[in-house]
Amino acid sequence: MQSKSTYKIPNGKLLKVFLEFDENKKSIKNIKITGDFFAYPEEAIESLENELKDTPLKKSNLFVKINEIIKKNKIEFIGLNAEGLTEGILRCFK
Amino acid sequence: MKEKWRMLLTENNSAYTNMAIDRAVMITNKEKKVPPTVRFYTWAPPAISIGYFQSLEEEIDLTICKKLGIDYVRRITGGGAVFHDKELTYSIVIPESRPEIPKKIIDSYGRICGAIIKGLSNLGIESQYAPINDIISNGKKISGNAQTRKERTVLQHGTVLMDVDVDKMFSVLKVPNEKIKDKLIKDVKQRVTSVKNILNEDITFLKAADAMKLGFENEFDIELVKEKLTDEEIKLTEKFEKQIFSSKDWNHKR
Repeated sequence: MQSKSTYKIPNGKLLKVFLEFDENKKSIKNIKITGDFFAYPEEAIESLENELKDTPLKKSNLFVKINEIIKKNKIEFIGLNAEGLTEGILRCFK
Repeated sequence: MKEKWRMLLTENNSAYTNMAIDRAVMITNKEKKVPPTVRFYTWAPPAISIGYFQSLEEEIDLTICKKLGIDYVRRITGGGAVFHDKELTYSIVIPESRPEIPKKIIDSYGRICGAIIKGLSNLGIESQYAPINDIISNGKKISGNAQTRKERTVLQHGTVLMDVDVDKMFSVLKVPNEKIKDKLIKDVKQRVTSVKNILNEDITFLKAADAMKLGFENEFDIELVKEKLTDEEIKLTEKFEKQIFSSKDWNHKR
């Protein structure tokens, strides 16, 4: 299944998530994180997208996993954060 | 004696060339072959640049771009889609280690925008930095900016709107909801201004570039010396233009 969300990060930028998910396992199959935010280093967004595969689509799992990946890849966001990204992904179902 | 930095004036290049030059100068500056470099440039034909993280087809109507002869390119910097038509664009490339560049990225936006604010003031326009990455005059946006850092080298590029045609801009930029397009255009007209709008006159590229040059010189207490791209930079530009910025792989990658 495919879904999409647009979410304005509070005090931040406009996040647009394109999500392909596994309906039975309720987990991420494929994700594209797009928008007018900033992330350093830029290429780390692809690592973030790859490492989010198979993550359960539940708020706590997503938030923990996103924070882990940010830490591991030393990603610095401006106009986006782990909370906002979690919310953007979950909004694909609202 | 003030320290000398390099200034480049490159008018009327394609979107691909413009983005390739910024990338090329990041390489030569990192290799310490050229001093910190400030470039002023324009776009011909008009073009849309999108931020590194944006989806091309989500942001731009490619059919209308082709019809109107408007180029499009993905930047190496984040941020939003920009319609580059009547504007002066600047870029600065400088080592991250320089004392002029605050370590925190968000602080360095403000510092570099300080040069543009001083430049606008030389044209008689009062403006302020509006975090994250805008400069506003009378509450309206007049400049947008975007920064990247690679291999300890900073690139920030940004626009100074000389004149703005919001209707034309929205003929090529996609909006989330077609039903509210008219309202959105009205809102943007309220929120965006330009040098021409404020001064009620057309300012030439050279006059604007000269005002911005002084802005950079004052902000950083340096002297900008007009030079040209080096032979190596010209070769790198051709390479990046072909391999990256004009390629479908790059522009359609998200």
